[in-house]
Amino acid sequence: MNAIEMKNVSKSFGDFAIQNLNFELPQGAICGLVGENGAGKSTTIRLLMDALRPDSGEISVLGVDTRSPEFQQVKEDVGVVMDEAYFPETLNARQVGSIMADTYARWDAETYDGFIRRFDLPPSKAFKNYSRGMTMKLAIAVALSHSPRLLVLDEATSGLDPIVRDEILELFSEFTRDEEHSILISSHIVSDLEKLCDYIAFLHKGRLRFCMEKDALRDEYGIVSCTKTQLANLPREAVCGVEKSPYGARALVKRKLVSSALQLDRPNIEDVILFLVKGEKQA
Amino acid sequence: MKALLKKDIFVLIRQMRLFLVMIIIFSVLPGVNMTTFAIVYCGMLPYVAMAYDERSKWTELAAMMPYTPGDIVLSKYTLGWMAIGFATVLSTAAHLILGRIFPSAYSLALSEVFPSLCIGFIMMAVTLPLMFRFGVEKGRLLFILLIVVLACGGGALVQGMVGFDGEIPVALNTFFSLGIPALAVVLTAISVPLSIVMYNRCSV
Repeated sequence: MNAIEMKNVSKSFGDFAIQNLNFELPQGAICGLVGENGAGKSTTIRLLMDALRPDSGEISVLGVDTRSPEFQQVKEDVGVVMDEAYFPETLNARQVGSIMADTYARWDAETYDGFIRRFDLPPSKAFKNYSRGMTMKLAIAVALSHSPRLLVLDEATSGLDPIVRDEILELFSEFTRDEEHSILISSHIVSDLEKLCDYIAFLHKGRLRFCMEKDALRDEYGIVSCTKTQLANLPREAVCGVEKSPYGARALVKRKLVSSALQLDRPNIEDVILFLVKGEKQA
Repeated sequence: MKALLKKDIFVLIRQMRLFLVMIIIFSVLPGVNMTTFAIVYCGMLPYVAMAYDERSKWTELAAMMPYTPGDIVLSKYTLGWMAIGFATVLSTAAHLILGRIFPSAYSLALSEVFPSLCIGFIMMAVTLPLMFRFGVEKGRLLFILLIVVLACGGGALVQGMVGFDGEIPVALNTFFSLGIPALAVVLTAISVPLSIVMYNRCSV
């Protein structure tokens, strides 16, 4: 079963539109949703949590259509973390726990208290006085304390220092050790996603450019460093993006479409994305 | 809905201490005007809670949690009804107890408190759908406009009906004792589903 399925989903806001989005997240997998600011990542997340209605297309989460009345029950199985905590700032961790206990049927106060201790969060301090890292940890503690099967994380690691980010990524890895657990995480910190994810989905200007297994993606492309003359001799359809300098050029190419004699470096995900965006601008 | 009410109460107790003290003071001061003030203040608490929700972006998060639109809308009405009920009970108790000590000051009949309670309900019923549709910022302006129109219009109407001799006509008395409660019930019955529609329209 797929944890998330989006079929031909479109949503228009006048000056911006999600266009014909097709996307699947298999159960047990972690998918990173990458894209620049304004690419449509948060809109996609709002669509799949039924906080926004699509103009067309179908969305199902954990096997249930998001427009059906049963989806209300499915929200019990989804832990959501946004780019900030989004709780009224005068609340403290203890009050948040008390509110969530009346929100989620499977709320586990012991698990929550365990996270509060593990994250060293002061339970009686209003969380407006927390650091950003502490705020995000509180939001993550809430998301993980009602036995979710799916975590939906919207820029949950942005603005955090590398140590806190690493600690949080480790927690997400722990979560997916259960094969029924899945994560959709949006971020523009590609290195985080590369560390954590099985799949990478790249959203650009409201369109899904690709959604592939991380390793398959890195295998599909290669980076060639060459002179401008060598670049001109490469098959046009093989070149996805070019970076020129006074000394030569670097190009992202499709491995299958170039000669196997050509010396290719294995790109990281960030390389692939940057070259693809450049390629689009150059086209 | 219990969770949402709890959240609003936590926030209001923390942020609105002075406001809550004023409600208590107005409730125990003698006279129907003071009671009406307290009730109108209580009727405004849902807007205050909504303003804090908007500021913290709670509304966005709540849309992704297992709350139905009905839960979200009804929690604000319930908060207002509970607050109005609290002010009414407090005012009634103050008049009953203090009326024995200061009979001349606390001469308010209990029947005079009831129309104030209904006015509080009517005020919420009329304004909350606007708040859910336009947000607290714009909704508040419409609320002020509505209060001015109602106060001026109602005042002029009552003055016109009472006349120079100061005698309250039977029709006006009947309106206060039957018409206002009926209006409160009818408007509330329309207002709650209307607010749910407005809330849904806003989240589309």
